[in-house]
Amino acid sequence: MLQNKSFVRKTRQGKVVKVVREHYLRDDIYCGAPSCQVCDTKDARLSSSIPSVLVLDTNVVLNQIDLLENPAINNVVVLSVVLDEAKNKNLSVYNRLRALCSNSLRNFFVFSNEYHKDTYVKAMVGESPNDRNDRAIRVATQWYQNHLGSRVQVLLITNDRENKRKATEEGISAETVESFVKSLGQPELLDLLVRPQSDDVHMVDSEDLRPSKRKVIYTEHKPMSEITAGLHSRIYHQGKLRVNRYNPFEAYVGSESIGDEIIIYGRPNMNRAFDGDIVAVELLPQEQWQEEKSLLLADEEDEPEDDVHLVPASADDAPRVANPVEGSDGTMKSVASRPAGRVVGVIKRNWHSYCGSLEPMPMPAGNAGIAHALFVSKDNRIPKIRIQTRQLENLMDKRIIVAVDSWDCSSRYPSGHYVRTIGQIGDRDTESEVVLIENDIDARPFSSQVLACLPPIPWSVSPEDLSNPIRQDLRHIRVFSVDPPGCRDIDDALHCTAFPNGNFEVGVHIADVTNFVHSGTPLDEEATQRGTSVYLVERRIDMLPKPLTEDICSLRADVERLAFSVIWEMTPEAEIISTRFTKSIIKSCAALSYVEAQARMDDRRMVDPLTADLRNMNSLAKIMRQRRIERGALTLASAEVKFQIDTETHDPLDIGMYQIREANQMVEEFMLAANISVAEKILKHFPVCSLLRRHPSPTKEMLEPLLRTAGAVGLSLDVSSSKALADSLDHAVGDDPYFNKLIRILATRCMSQAVYFCSGDLSPPEFFHYGLAALLYTHFTSPIRRYADVVVHRLLAASLGIYKLPNIFQDRPQLTSIADNLNYRHRNAQMASRASVELHTIIYFRTRPTDTQARIVKLRSNGFIVFVPKYGIEGPVYLTARGEKGGGEWSVDEQQQKIKKMDGSVCYSVLDTVNIHMEVVEPQPNRPKLQLTLV
Amino acid sequence: MEFVSPEGLRLDGRRPMEMRQLRAKIGAVDKAHGSAYFEMGNTKVIAAVYGPREVQNRSQQLNDQALVRCEYTMANFSTGDRRRKPKGDRRSTEISLVIRQTMEACIMTHLMPRSQIDIFVQVLQADGGTRSACINAATLALADAGIPMHDLVTSCSAGYLNSTPLLDLNYVEDSAGGPDVTVGILPKSTKVTLLQMDSKLPMDIFENVMQLATEGCKAVANYIREVLLEKTKERQKFHGV
Amino acid sequence: MVGLSIGEKHFIEGGVAQDIRTDGRRRLVYRPIQVRMGGTEVIASVKAELGRPSSLQPDKGKVFINVDCSPTADPIFEGRGGEELSTELSGALQICLLGGKSGAGAAIDLSSLSIVGGKICWDLYIDGLVVSADGNLLDALGAAIKAALSNTGIPKVNVAAGASSDEQPEVDISDEEFLQFDTSAVPVIITLTEVGRHYIVDATPEEESHMNSAISMSVNRKGNICGLTKRGSAGLDPSVILDMISVGIHVSEQLMNKLDSEIAAAEACEEE
Repeated sequence: MLQNKSFVRKTRQGKVVKVVREHYLRDDIYCGAPSCQVCDTKDARLSSSIPSVLVLDTNVVLNQIDLLENPAINNVVVLSVVLDEAKNKNLSVYNRLRALCSNSLRNFFVFSNEYHKDTYVKAMVGESPNDRNDRAIRVATQWYQNHLGSRVQVLLITNDRENKRKATEEGISAETVESFVKSLGQPELLDLLVRPQSDDVHMVDSEDLRPSKRKVIYTEHKPMSEITAGLHSRIYHQGKLRVNRYNPFEAYVGSESIGDEIIIYGRPNMNRAFDGDIVAVELLPQEQWQEEKSLLLADEEDEPEDDVHLVPASADDAPRVANPVEGSDGTMKSVASRPAGRVVGVIKRNWHSYCGSLEPMPMPAGNAGIAHALFVSKDNRIPKIRIQTRQLENLMDKRIIVAVDSWDCSSRYPSGHYVRTIGQIGDRDTESEVVLIENDIDARPFSSQVLACLPPIPWSVSPEDLSNPIRQDLRHIRVFSVDPPGCRDIDDALHCTAFPNGNFEVGVHIADVTNFVHSGTPLDEEATQRGTSVYLVERRIDMLPKPLTEDICSLRADVERLAFSVIWEMTPEAEIISTRFTKSIIKSCAALSYVEAQARMDDRRMVDPLTADLRNMNSLAKIMRQRRIERGALTLASAEVKFQIDTETHDPLDIGMYQIREANQMVEEFMLAANISVAEKILKHFPVCSLLRRHPSPTKEMLEPLLRTAGAVGLSLDVSSSKALADSLDHAVGDDPYFNKLIRILATRCMSQAVYFCSGDLSPPEFFHYGLAALLYTHFTSPIRRYADVVVHRLLAASLGIYKLPNIFQDRPQLTSIADNLNYRHRNAQMASRASVELHTIIYFRTRPTDTQARIVKLRSNGFIVFVPKYGIEGPVYLTARGEKGGGEWSVDEQQQKIKKMDGSVCYSVLDTVNIHMEVVEPQPNRPKLQLTLV
Repeated sequence: MEFVSPEGLRLDGRRPMEMRQLRAKIGAVDKAHGSAYFEMGNTKVIAAVYGPREVQNRSQQLNDQALVRCEYTMANFSTGDRRRKPKGDRRSTEISLVIRQTMEACIMTHLMPRSQIDIFVQVLQADGGTRSACINAATLALADAGIPMHDLVTSCSAGYLNSTPLLDLNYVEDSAGGPDVTVGILPKSTKVTLLQMDSKLPMDIFENVMQLATEGCKAVANYIREVLLEKTKERQKFHGV
Repeated sequence: MVGLSIGEKHFIEGGVAQDIRTDGRRRLVYRPIQVRMGGTEVIASVKAELGRPSSLQPDKGKVFINVDCSPTADPIFEGRGGEELSTELSGALQICLLGGKSGAGAAIDLSSLSIVGGKICWDLYIDGLVVSADGNLLDALGAAIKAALSNTGIPKVNVAAGASSDEQPEVDISDEEFLQFDTSAVPVIITLTEVGRHYIVDATPEEESHMNSAISMSVNRKGNICGLTKRGSAGLDPSVILDMISVGIHVSEQLMNKLDSEIAAAEACEEE
């Protein structure tokens, strides 16, 4: 097997270290053509029916990956030298290419030319690595042509002029991507092409014929060597650029070198950097830190448009606190704010493809050919992108995906290319898909490998399960579940048995998902990636396949199911005497809805044992809840809304606030208790590799808007601790019943979100969960829909000695990356749910213009932001028409939080109730938006 | 980091179950009683055996068996970055000990009481698996010196990276921080005389990795036998037998 | 060192006097050279690192020479046993190859090792390893080092422009371009060992055990002496020394030619 011809390859890295590595050449690397007589065709990937084989040059792979992903490009040989180069230059392209190579529907074959004895080339004296690689590609192409013979045409696709010339000289057929795509005769493919730089300039020319426009808009990026030198000498600072979701002209760069966030105001200072790019930033002189902002906001030609959106559920969703309505107050200015800077260079691009639509524009007169259009991303952090298309008319009313290719310093917007169409704008399915794509949610059906991991259906508890000593038989216990109506994935059930001595045995039984999802299986890997189920208004994207979520794991009534149980003995005062954990078999006697459970408890006439259990539990839960609140847990409020969906059309029929009953709180209380008990248990056994959940305390700065708003209505809140805040929230009672809830909603949005973390990464004081006032917390109770709970189930099982801990727990960086992914997925799932609700809100109001009451929550220079309690949405109300800014008619009193008409006739202050009119308007064709106006 | 490509090739072009190229030469140091030069890929070592001879330090003399001593040294230039290591640092002491114990297990020491056998191994170039290479070189050198042995001892390492067991780790793979199992066996009886592992590995995977390393040892043994046979034939010719 | 009987001693002495040595060579004939001389096997390696030049000579690089004796060569080198000899050999090599403190007259042009004056230079580490000792270690080491140097390529270094003057400049190591050493100036080392009243080159251990004194000289291609050390305790008449030197220079020419052809052959072999 081993081709015994070894030689060394010398490379140099970093310091001057001579690295000598062996490089074995082999004769057992096969060509991948199924018809090949010589090679082993076991792993052949190429198609036998297509008479031509494409070999790609690296530049084609790096620039045209969108094209390659189109099924029209097929039967491709990917050389390992190309893969290596792609990996070094652009990891995301590399991953996409790898995905293509492993996609069984596509005929992409990886040929390890670097290890093949006939295709390896040694660098010649004076030959640059680039030239060597180009030569390697040509040698491999040549080899393929010779190897496959004349019945197959081997075509080298390269955009490198020199490489193409040499290839032709050497008798290899070579073409550029453009000419190749043209030869395929599918004009829409041409839209996918990335235009080479030289074309770009030409394009700008044709668009802006006036020479004056061809000025340099952005400063040139500094060369890489200068940036490294600058970073070294601490003139520049490196960090990831994050654009403010609510103000795309403001961005932050978290810099380790100065230990603070640097604010970047305005597109010129952002200097063509995208959200997520790693950039080098130069600080502006200190005296410009403050002015910079006010100056630039006014300068910007298109101010961001405020849209009606859902009420933010936490500080992470809300716009950054950036001292709104600046300048009216002299004291604000003197506060030395955060340092401001400007981007001098981009170290690593985070360009990917974006979802959105084309900016409405008149059809170019009588031009059937190429049109230039501006693409507006759904994600408003992304600037408009200029694209070229041959199907403008077709795309105008569509949601499309566009990828960015370049951004020249003489063009205002980056250039990109069309990737694919999702569907009609405003169409519910299209918009839902946009929501999924925007939030990076994988809604594809589960692969066959994943489905193969499922146990056969119909499934039932087997005798082996019953005889398994680790599993306790709890079928005789009266277990029941309480969930929202229509819930099919029931992952928790409860029981409460009264002991003769007056104590209670309370059990929380959680679906035993890890009995079916084993670590390391494709099913587990898929669930790790998905991280959580995603709940959209009209559909649910499961983390686990349906047979598991709705049948095998779901703790439905009257069937035997496997569970993982937490069982306490409690005194009637809800003091926990003992806690034990066990795997179990249960048989739920009833799957109640919250409404049903509540009705049973409230109905005095019902005296059956189940109702008695419910009442016992409820009284315990009330005590536990009270105790938790005394500890300082916050009762926060969110403005969750519930849609009634038409079963036929899936259109929303009604919309209203989600009602919280005592039964909800009862279940919640026991789930919290179970999670806390489990957190304590696993942390005791695995102090460095437990997965926990923490909620950081909000900083002064984060609570600042709450305090200002409360102050304006004469309310003083004590925010020194969660306990103090909880108390002062309790005392915040206004004139109307909704006032308290409103304040709580405002408080909630000041908090950051709770996050998962690996216990080894932080010190115990940082484990604190602020909102629950719990020292430790984790997620254990919903393994069907959250992967974190699956991880915790495994930890708990291992701590009981039932199963051994999977290997992954020994690897802390990997555990940390799992926690990071869970946080990312969790957050995206929330964003997607919110976006879905927003989408359905628009659909709902499209046919139903409504008048309703709203509360003012924030003041703007030309109006205010209102909160509509009934529908849980928030949006701007403009007092003056857009464009004629202020006009001097209205003035804002920052101190009093009031906005007054100059003549003093009208005055609005924060938290006031106003009547508004809600209506969906289409200011531009196919761009519906919800508009709020004062009545 | 990807140590095994989806095509099943390692960074240096080997497949997971393949060893590096072996090369050996008997008689590298003229003055020694027995010596050998052994290469596993870019790991190159020389072993020299002096003895059996009079015990130098009388107090160490053993009356029922031979005294086996071993010293492992690494040349300054054997690694990528030049490091000046003091002689007898902990790592070399430890490896010296490992080699000594492994070799002692196969030398028929009882046949040579009150004598001393010195084994010196010198690493000229290190590219992972120096331990194994040293043991293999020492076996050859002992055989060259004509010291009676129960069997050859051969050694090979195996590791576990990217969820794949890999035979004969080179330096890059070794420094990836994964587990590294070094096994030494007596090939005839397949008894294990040396077993070392750093890092963690679950039991079932360990079995596979160790099995792989043992297979590697057997392959080394076959090669060493060939080399010895050739040398013997050469000597036969030389002496005109 | 080597246990010899009185008879053997007389034999060697007498043989030398008659210009016939134990292995049949004449007094001034070297054994065949490969990288080894007879049974003496040494390995020399040259490694280059980036370093800061010394403040006294800001525009010159630094060269360090170090020799180790492997216990494989002789059991007496075990543990710290080889240190004395190692130190003696490295000292002699330094004198022969490095010239004076100022670096003037060194075998290697130190200023060619400078990258940025006063900031960065190449530090050259020359390591010799004695794998097998069979006499005349110094000459063997000298030859090995010369061969190693001629095989050394130092990557070309590009200095990033624009760095301010008080910092260490950023350097970029080129992957493709190497500086080859000019080894024509590197001398060879000839050791003349006085046995009885005659002197011989390339002594075997038996002969070395019999020496009164020895002179090692490094001679470059032009026939100039670059360094000279005398070893051994017995005194030498100055006239004898002069005589020895002239003989040494004569022998060096042969050695140099032989070495050069060997190196050229080895390089040619490597090219393939």
